[in-house]
Amino acid sequence: MAHENSMNGIALPARRQFLQRAGLGFGSLALASMLHQESNAAPSVGGDPLALRSPHFPAKVKSIIWLFMTGGPSQVDTWDYKPELQKRDGQDLAGSDPKTGFFTTSGKCLKSPFEWKQHGESGSWVSGIFPHLSQHTDKMCFLHSMHLKQNNHAPASIELMCGTNRPGLPALGAWMTYGLGSMNEDLPSYVVLHDTRPRGDDQIWSAGFLPKTYQALSLDARRKEAVDNLLRDSKHSDAQQRAQLDLIRQFNNEHAASRPSQVDLAARINSYELAYRMQMAAPDALDLSKESEATHKMYGLDNPDCGTFARQCLLSRRLVERGVRFVQIFAGKGVNGDGSVNDVPWDCHSDLETNHRSCGLYTDQPAAALLADLDARGLLESTLVIWGGEFGRTSDSQGSKGRDHNPNGFTIWMAGAGVKGGFHYGATDEFGYKAVTNKVHVNDLHATLLHLLGLEHTKLTYRFNGRDYRLTDVAGNVISDILV
Amino acid sequence: MRHCWVTAVLLSLLASSSWAQSPNEDGLAFFEQKIRPVLVQHCYSCHSVQAQDAKKLQGGLFLDSSEGTLTGGENGPALIKGNSVDSRLLKALKYDGMEMPPSGKLSDEIIADFAKWIEMGAPDPRHGATPIKPKREINLEEGRKWWSFQPLRIVVPPSGADGLRRQTPVDNFIVAAQTQQQLQPNGPASKEKLIRRAYFDLIGLPPTPEQIDAFIQEASPRAFEKVIDGLLESPHYGEKWARHWLDVARFAESGGYEFDGFRPGAYHYRDWVIRAINNDLPYDQFVRMQLAGDQLQPDDYLAASASGFLVAGPYPGQTTVKTIEGIRYDQLDDMLMTVGGSMLGLTLGCVRCHDHKYDPLQQKDYYALAASLAKTEHGPRMIDPDPAATRQAWDRYQQAHQPLVAALQKFSVEQLPQRFAAWQSSELARQPDASRWQIMEPVALDAERAFLKWLPGGLVVYDGHFNPGSNLFRRGQRRNVGSADRYTITLNTFQKAITSFRLDTLADKSLPQRGPGVNGDGSFQLTELKVMARPLDGNPAETPQELKLKPVFAAFEDKDQPLSHAVDGNPETAWVVRSTAKKDNAAVFELETPLAGFAGGTELTFELKFRDLGIGRMRFSFSTEPNPATWAGDLTPQHVGEMRAILAANANKLPDHQREAMVRWFSPFDVETAKIYQAVRDQIMAEPRAALTEVYTTVAGGQDVYLLRRGEVDNKQGKAEPGFVQVLLPTNAAVQPANGQPASSPTDPRIALSDWMTSVDRGAGPLLARVMVNRLWQHHFGEGIVGTPNDFGAQGERPTHPELLEWLAAQFVSGGWKLKPLHKQIMLSAVYQQSHEVSADNLQRDPTNRYLWHFQTRRLDAELIRDSLLAVGGNLDSSLYGPSILDQTPRRSVYLRVKRSELIPMMTMFDAPEPTQSVGERISTTVPTQSLAMMNSPFVRQQAEKLALRIRPAKETPLAQAVDSAYRIAFARIPSEAERVQMLAFINAQNSIIAGDPETKTTQALVEFCQVLLCLNEFVYID
Repeated sequence: MAHENSMNGIALPARRQFLQRAGLGFGSLALASMLHQESNAAPSVGGDPLALRSPHFPAKVKSIIWLFMTGGPSQVDTWDYKPELQKRDGQDLAGSDPKTGFFTTSGKCLKSPFEWKQHGESGSWVSGIFPHLSQHTDKMCFLHSMHLKQNNHAPASIELMCGTNRPGLPALGAWMTYGLGSMNEDLPSYVVLHDTRPRGDDQIWSAGFLPKTYQALSLDARRKEAVDNLLRDSKHSDAQQRAQLDLIRQFNNEHAASRPSQVDLAARINSYELAYRMQMAAPDALDLSKESEATHKMYGLDNPDCGTFARQCLLSRRLVERGVRFVQIFAGKGVNGDGSVNDVPWDCHSDLETNHRSCGLYTDQPAAALLADLDARGLLESTLVIWGGEFGRTSDSQGSKGRDHNPNGFTIWMAGAGVKGGFHYGATDEFGYKAVTNKVHVNDLHATLLHLLGLEHTKLTYRFNGRDYRLTDVAGNVISDILV
Repeated sequence: MRHCWVTAVLLSLLASSSWAQSPNEDGLAFFEQKIRPVLVQHCYSCHSVQAQDAKKLQGGLFLDSSEGTLTGGENGPALIKGNSVDSRLLKALKYDGMEMPPSGKLSDEIIADFAKWIEMGAPDPRHGATPIKPKREINLEEGRKWWSFQPLRIVVPPSGADGLRRQTPVDNFIVAAQTQQQLQPNGPASKEKLIRRAYFDLIGLPPTPEQIDAFIQEASPRAFEKVIDGLLESPHYGEKWARHWLDVARFAESGGYEFDGFRPGAYHYRDWVIRAINNDLPYDQFVRMQLAGDQLQPDDYLAASASGFLVAGPYPGQTTVKTIEGIRYDQLDDMLMTVGGSMLGLTLGCVRCHDHKYDPLQQKDYYALAASLAKTEHGPRMIDPDPAATRQAWDRYQQAHQPLVAALQKFSVEQLPQRFAAWQSSELARQPDASRWQIMEPVALDAERAFLKWLPGGLVVYDGHFNPGSNLFRRGQRRNVGSADRYTITLNTFQKAITSFRLDTLADKSLPQRGPGVNGDGSFQLTELKVMARPLDGNPAETPQELKLKPVFAAFEDKDQPLSHAVDGNPETAWVVRSTAKKDNAAVFELETPLAGFAGGTELTFELKFRDLGIGRMRFSFSTEPNPATWAGDLTPQHVGEMRAILAANANKLPDHQREAMVRWFSPFDVETAKIYQAVRDQIMAEPRAALTEVYTTVAGGQDVYLLRRGEVDNKQGKAEPGFVQVLLPTNAAVQPANGQPASSPTDPRIALSDWMTSVDRGAGPLLARVMVNRLWQHHFGEGIVGTPNDFGAQGERPTHPELLEWLAAQFVSGGWKLKPLHKQIMLSAVYQQSHEVSADNLQRDPTNRYLWHFQTRRLDAELIRDSLLAVGGNLDSSLYGPSILDQTPRRSVYLRVKRSELIPMMTMFDAPEPTQSVGERISTTVPTQSLAMMNSPFVRQQAEKLALRIRPAKETPLAQAVDSAYRIAFARIPSEAERVQMLAFINAQNSIIAGDPETKTTQALVEFCQVLLCLNEFVYID
C-alpha cells in the first residue's frame, strides 16, 4: 500500500529484517524477496515502523530526558543573573514592551528576591533556589537566549515541543522515534510523565499527523495502573492467556499465509508477542522498589516536598536504561496564593518568591540526583538532560511581586552527551528581558537536538496533505558553538 | 513561519544600477576595512551565491555584490545610496522591524560604520554576475492544463477482448488496464466474503447469521443488488460514511489549546452529516450548506448545523488584545486548509505566506478566499430544531382558544346576566370601598426574551427566557431574540381619575438571589417605563395618549441610578434595583395630570424596557386618591371598583356590551363564572414554547482581511476582497462573477464561494467532483484512484486510472451529485466483487495491487472495530443521533465524544486521526497497545463473555454448534473441520485448567475461546 509517507534520505525500515524477526512462514519469504526488489519505494506502513534506523550521521545522543518546568520559570530568578536588575529595583525598565506579557506589567524593574552565588569551575551564577543543582553547573550548557513567539502556556508549549504553535503537529519525541526507530521492543520509545496534566495537555506530546506508532505513552503519577490494559483480568491466569496467544499466533499465521502481500498482518501477529512481553517488562521498569535505599534517598523519594518528581526522575533513568528515547517530565509545584495553578505550577503571576521557592524545592534535589546518577552510571555519555519551560518571565513586575509571561528571552540548560559543560551561550539584555546575543529560537534548538541525535533537521520530513513537514518548519540552524 | 520559500526578483530592475560611477578610493578602503568583513562573517551564509548553491538563500537577497545589494530581495532594495535612514539594511541591523543577523544584534560601532558607508554612497567594488533568478510567475493559462483542473471530459468506457469479466462500465476501465499489464484478475469472492465486505463497506457492521443465510439462499442474480439497496437504505449507512467526512472536516467538539473548552452544540454538525448522507443530499448541496448554510437558509436548524463545518477547528481558550489578530488569521487558515483539503484536494495552507511552490495557486487567491470568510465567527446559537412542530403547536393552541372563548360568550349571554343581577342586588353593596391601591388584573402579556405568566392576585411572573440571538417562531411569527428584555403588560379599567401607578417587584425563592430581578445577581435595570392609554372600545373619536409619569417613591434606590432614570426618556440610563434586602420592593409614579379615562373603558399598556433580563415577580396597581405619596396603604383587587364603575356609567345596570368584560370582574364572586374565566386563562397560559437547542456554528462578526506578506499580521499589504482560486476559473478575471452575477451585486461572499465551488462550468465543480468520487472509491477499495485524496496538485499522486476517475466524476455530476447510485455502480462491478486471493504471477507484476487484480484485504477503522465488538457481543445500542457520549456506552463509536485533549484511547490506539487538520486517509498502524487492549481490556473481555452466552443459549447446546455460531457471528462463515477440531480441543484444554463446577468451567472456557476469535486478524480484517 503506497502511502504519503516519505523519509527523504533516511534509511528505509528494513522490512526484510523485520520479517525475519517476526518469524513468519513461507508466504512472507516470497514477499521478502519481492520487497527486496522494490526497496527504493516509499516505506510501507505495514512494515515495522519502529525498526531501528540508521541516523544521517553518527549520533552523540541516544536518549533525551526533558525536565519540563511547566508554567514558565523566571530566567532572572534561576540561571540568568542580572546585577543591573538587582540595582534598579523599582526603577523604569528600559526597553520595556507592553506587548511582552499576557497581562499588564508595571514597566518597573523587579529585582530577584533570591541570593545569587557563583558555582563550579565555570563560575556560573545560580539563584539560591537550587542548592543541589548548583553543584552540577559544570555539566550544564546554558542557552540564555531562548525565545519563541507565543505568550500563553498552551500555544508556547506547543511551539516549544512541536516547532510552531498550531496544534496537530508532531512533537519532538514523535519526530525522534519516526526518524530513528525504537531501541527497545518491550517499551514505547516516547514516554511522558506528569501528574496534573499541563495546560495544552496531550497536544504538547502529540504524534500529530505521524502514524500513531510514534505516539507518546503518558504516565499519570496520580493513577494506580500506569498503563492501560497492562494487567490481565484477575480471573485470567497466565497459563490461560499463554494458551490463547499460542492459538492466536497459529491461526493468524494461517490467515497471513494466504495474504502474502499484507505486511501489516505479520506486524500484528508479532505485536501480540510484544504485548505479552511488555506486560512483563513494563511493570519491571516501573517498579521503583528495585532501587536501593540510598538511591531513594538521593532522589528524595520519601521527601514530601519533592517525592512525586523524585519518582518521575528515577523512573526516567530506568526508562532510559531500557532504551526509551525520549522521556519528558512535566514538573513544578506551586502553592496556594502565589498565582499559579496546578497545571502551570511555575506561573508566578502574583508572588514570584513563594512560587519559585516552592517549585525549586520540588524539583531541585531530584533533578540534581538524576544528573549525578546518570553520571555515575555512565549514562550521561549517551543521554542529554534538558531543563526548561515554555517561556521566561518579565523583568518588570506584575502587581507588586509577580512576573508575567515573557517569550522574548529565557534560559534552558542541557547537560550530558554532546554538549559543552559549564558553558554559557547567548545572552539577554542587561535586565534579562530580551534575548539579544546569539539568539536561539525553538527551531534552532530542535535543529541542534536532532543534530545530536544524528539527524539532519532539513531532511527529517513527512509528507502530509501535500506538504513535506519538518519539526523545524522552514527555519532552524544547528548551534555548533555548544557542541563538544 | 520565519522564512518562506525564496523568490528572486526580476533582473530588469538591474538596468538602473549605478555602477558606472567611479567610487572614490577612500570609500573603497572603508568598505574593505569595515564593511566587507562584516558582510562575509554575518550575512553571506544566507545572502550570497554560495548560500543559494547550498539552498540556504533567504529572502531572495544577495549581499555579495553591489547589484544584489541595490536590487534587494523580496522586500525591495537593501539600501538606498546616501540615505541610511530609509535603507532596509540599516533598519535590519538596528533590529528595527526586522532583526538581522538573527543570531544577535551587532555592535553599535558596526552599525554606525554601515550608516556612514551608506551615507558615503555605498562604494562597493564587488561587481559581478549575480545570478538573480527570475521571479517565479504563476502562469494561470498553463496551470489550467493540470489534469485535475481541467473541465470534465466525456469519457467512453473502453471496449476490450471478450472472455474477461465485465459487469459494469467500471470493469471496462479496470480490465483494459489489467490487460495492458498482463494481469489476470481474480474470480468472484464467495458469497460469505462478499456480504461481509458489503456490510462493513456500507454500514460498518457485520452481517448477522440470518442476513448471511438469506443472501446465500437467494438464487436471484439480483441478490447482491438487493443487499446493496437494503444497506443504502439503512440509517447505519450514514453513520459509517459520515465518519469518513468527519475526518476530512477535522470535526471535534472542543477548542483545543488552553482549557480545550467543550462545545456542547457541536454534535449537531455530526448529526447533520449523518442525516445528509442518509438522505443522499446531492453532494453539491452538501458542500454549499457547509460553506454557506447559515446565509442560504438563515435561522434554519439544519443549515446552521451544516455551517458548523467552517468553525469546527481549534480555537484558543484564552485570548488577549495582543494575540487576537494572529489567532484570527490562524482560524481563517484552519478554515481554508480544511476547505482546500476536504473539498478541492488542494493544499491551500501552503499559500498563506507565498505563492504555492508547486501548484498554480497564488497568495492573493488565498487572501481572496480568506476575505470570503471574513464575516465568519464561531459560537453557539439557540435554534429551534423543529419550527414546523412549533408552528403546529401554535396553531393547535389558537384553535383550542376559540371554543373556550365561544363558551365564555355563550355563558355571558345565557347565564351571566341573571347571576350578576342576583349578586348585584344582594352582595354588591356589602363589598368594601376600594382601598388606596387597587391591584390590576393583567389582560395580556408579552416579552422579548422572557416567558411571563400571570398568577392570581394580579401577579406577573417570570417563567424562563430565551438567549439573545435565538431565532424562533413565537406567537405566529419568526423573530430574533434581542439581548435586552422588554415586557408589555396590558390591563383594563373602567374607573376614572387615576392619579398614580404603583409597581411592586417582589422577592421569591425561585429567583436568582431571591430576585426581584432575573439576572444572575437578582438585579434588574429598568431603562424605560412607558404607559399608553387607549379607548377600550376602540372608539376612533377618542385619542390614545401616552401618560406622563413622575417618580415619587422607590423602596430601593441607588443615588446614581434612581427611579427617575426609568421615566427620563433616556434609554441609556436605568433605575437599578439590586438584590440586597431580599425583600419586596415597590415604586410609585404619579401622573402629571390624572387620567380622566375613556367613556367605554380604558386599556392601559405598560411597556418596561430593561438592560438584559427583567423583573421576576411583579404587579401593577393604581390609585384614584389625590395624593398617594408613598406606598403605604392597603391593596385590594380592582374587581369591585370596576363593577361599580361600569354600573355607575350605565344607570346601575349591566349593559349588554359589557357582559363579556364583566366575566373577569365578577369571577371571584361566582363559582360558575370563575370556571368559565379560569378555563380561558389556563389555556392562555399554556402557550407553547419553541424547544430551542444550542448549535455550535457560524455567527455574525469578524472583520476585514488583509493580504499578509509572509503571512505576518504586522506586514499588511492592503485589504483583500472576496474572490476565488484563479486557476479554477475559466478565464483570468479581475472581477469574478458568481453564477453570472456581477461581483457588485450584494451576494454574500460565502454564498458566492459556494456557487463557485459547485459550478461545473464556471468554477471548481470538476475538481470538487473528482475529489469526492475518489474518496468514494478509496473507501471501497482501501485506496483511491488518486492515492493522495487530499492532494490533487503537483505533489500528489497521479490517478492510477485517470479515465475511470473522469468517467465516475461525470456520472456523479450528471446523476445529480448523488452518492448512493455511485456506490451501487461501484459495488456491482466485477472488480469490487472479486476475491482477495493473491496469485504469485500477478504479485510479481503488480506487487502493490495498483491495477486491482485482487480485492485488497484491509483492517477495519477504529470505530468499526469497537462497533463490531459490541455487535458480536449482541449489545450494540443502535439508536441514532444526539449529544456525544463518553467511552462507557454501547452506542456506535461515531457518537463518542471528540474532545481534542481527551481523545478516547480505544479510538486513537487504532488510528483515529487527530482532529486538528483535514485527514483524507488514515494510517493503519500496528502497536502492542492494540494487542494489550484486545488481550486485557475489560471491554473486550466483556464482549467475549457476552458472545459466549450468545453462542450457547442453553446448557444443552453442543459445543461444536457453539463454535460454529461464533464463527458465523464473528467471521460470517462456518469453520473448517480442522478449525472446529482445534477450537474444541482448545476449549477442552481451557476447561481442564479452570477451577469450579463443570458449568462454570465450560462457560469460562467458551469465553476464552470467544476472546481468541476477537483477537484473530480475521476479526478486524475484511477481504
